Amino acid sequence: MKFKLTTLACLVGMSLAGNALAATDTSAEVKKLRQEVNALNAKAKEWEEWKAPKTLVHLAGFASVGFTQPEKGTGSFSTGSFSPIFHYQFAEDVMMEAELEFEGSATGASVAGIDYMTIDYFMNDYAALVVGKFLSPIGQFRQNIHPSWINKMAAAPVGFGHDQAAPNADVGMMVRGGFTTDSGSHNYALYVANGPTLEPNTAGTEIEMIETPGLNQDVEGAKVVGGRYGLFFAEQQLDIGFSAAVGGTSVRLSTTNYESARSYQVVGFDMTWRVAGFDVRAEYVSQKVGDSSSSSITDGGTWTAMYAQIAYKFNPSNWEAVLRYGQYDTPDAASDVNQVAAGLNYVFASNVVAKFNYELNTNPNAGQTAENRMLAQLAYGF
Amino acid sequence: MSKKLLMTVKTLSASLLLASAAMIINPAVAADKPSTKGDVGRGAKAWVENCVRCHNVRDPKELRDDQWITTTYHMRMRAGLTGQQTRDIIAFLQMSN
Repeated sequence: MKFKLTTLACLVGMSLAGNALAATDTSAEVKKLRQEVNALNAKAKEWEEWKAPKTLVHLAGFASVGFTQPEKGTGSFSTGSFSPIFHYQFAEDVMMEAELEFEGSATGASVAGIDYMTIDYFMNDYAALVVGKFLSPIGQFRQNIHPSWINKMAAAPVGFGHDQAAPNADVGMMVRGGFTTDSGSHNYALYVANGPTLEPNTAGTEIEMIETPGLNQDVEGAKVVGGRYGLFFAEQQLDIGFSAAVGGTSVRLSTTNYESARSYQVVGFDMTWRVAGFDVRAEYVSQKVGDSSSSSITDGGTWTAMYAQIAYKFNPSNWEAVLRYGQYDTPDAASDVNQVAAGLNYVFASNVVAKFNYELNTNPNAGQTAENRMLAQLAYGF
Repeated sequence: MSKKLLMTVKTLSASLLLASAAMIINPAVAADKPSTKGDVGRGAKAWVENCVRCHNVRDPKELRDDQWITTTYHMRMRAGLTGQQTRDIIAFLQMSN
């Protein structure tokens, strides 16, 4: 009996001691867990800073590589271009953005340039002041569609390349923005910039091209004032835009010698419509240079280009078909081109596209020719 | 010389006109719709409607929260978005990534 009571007392004692030890362990675990939660909270607070830092730095851009096979001649691989875009932003007030362009020449050398570099001040919800070198707001292709991962064809439409019918860039200041009304979303751009220059042909008898790379000098007081107004109907997915610019330009006789200014006018129209799975785009632009009786080249001229493009993606597959018609009309009969281009794209991801194009190029003028070609391109937007 | 001076005056006038137009006209519009924080619902709608105007829609998970801020402000300039639309789209993208 005595032995049983002693055993029972021992068991009760051990049990109580065990409970006391367990209580101590639980308290320590809770304390440890609290410390871990506090540490995680502190980490989470740090990560929140990523949502709204004061100063932001971001690198974007696009690149392409390709292969071109002319109808008569040897096909060549090319590095295409590499165009990094730098963004430096301070809060919601100011942003510096710059797009560089690196291209490989036929001889293997690299050519570098600044496509645009602006400092943008967001004045309010409806307007931003843009100062520097900016892509021409005339039309849509040059300012928004030219990146290789966005352009559904491997090349720009005829007349929309550098120094052709569509102005490329301007150096000056611009106010641009948007506002909404019951009728739709409106967007606008108004600018004043240094005017373009005119490149004469080798003989000095005709204007060969209008140079619009965005000049850092104003010759003969030839400024340009212009802009674009666009209207977007969200329900219909329809975008339309009208552009115009007026000002002066002058013939470049040498790097330091320019003729007196003559008149310069630009008009443009663009539209985009997404309907029944189709992506339809069309654009028209015309640059007109006036005559000048005091010039060594008295005649002016008009450079006009247009294109219409339709694309369809065969969802859920990654294939996309594109068809484009374009015209480029210049004062020089040898440079005119009518183009029909067909393309088949494989969309690896929204920003990675392989393109296979064939261009049928013709010159509508008697005695002139243009060569057909096949293009393949891999484009990457980042 | 006087011709150049005249052109300079014209250029400065045009520049001042641009800046004045933006400062005077737009606050009048802004007064009707005061600035607010981004709204995820409105942002999703604006994102769907506006991105495809030029390019394929990018996955919200492609970039970090801070990267979407600069990217969307860049697109504000390209697409003519309002400041409010920009904040709405940022709110949506930051919530979705």
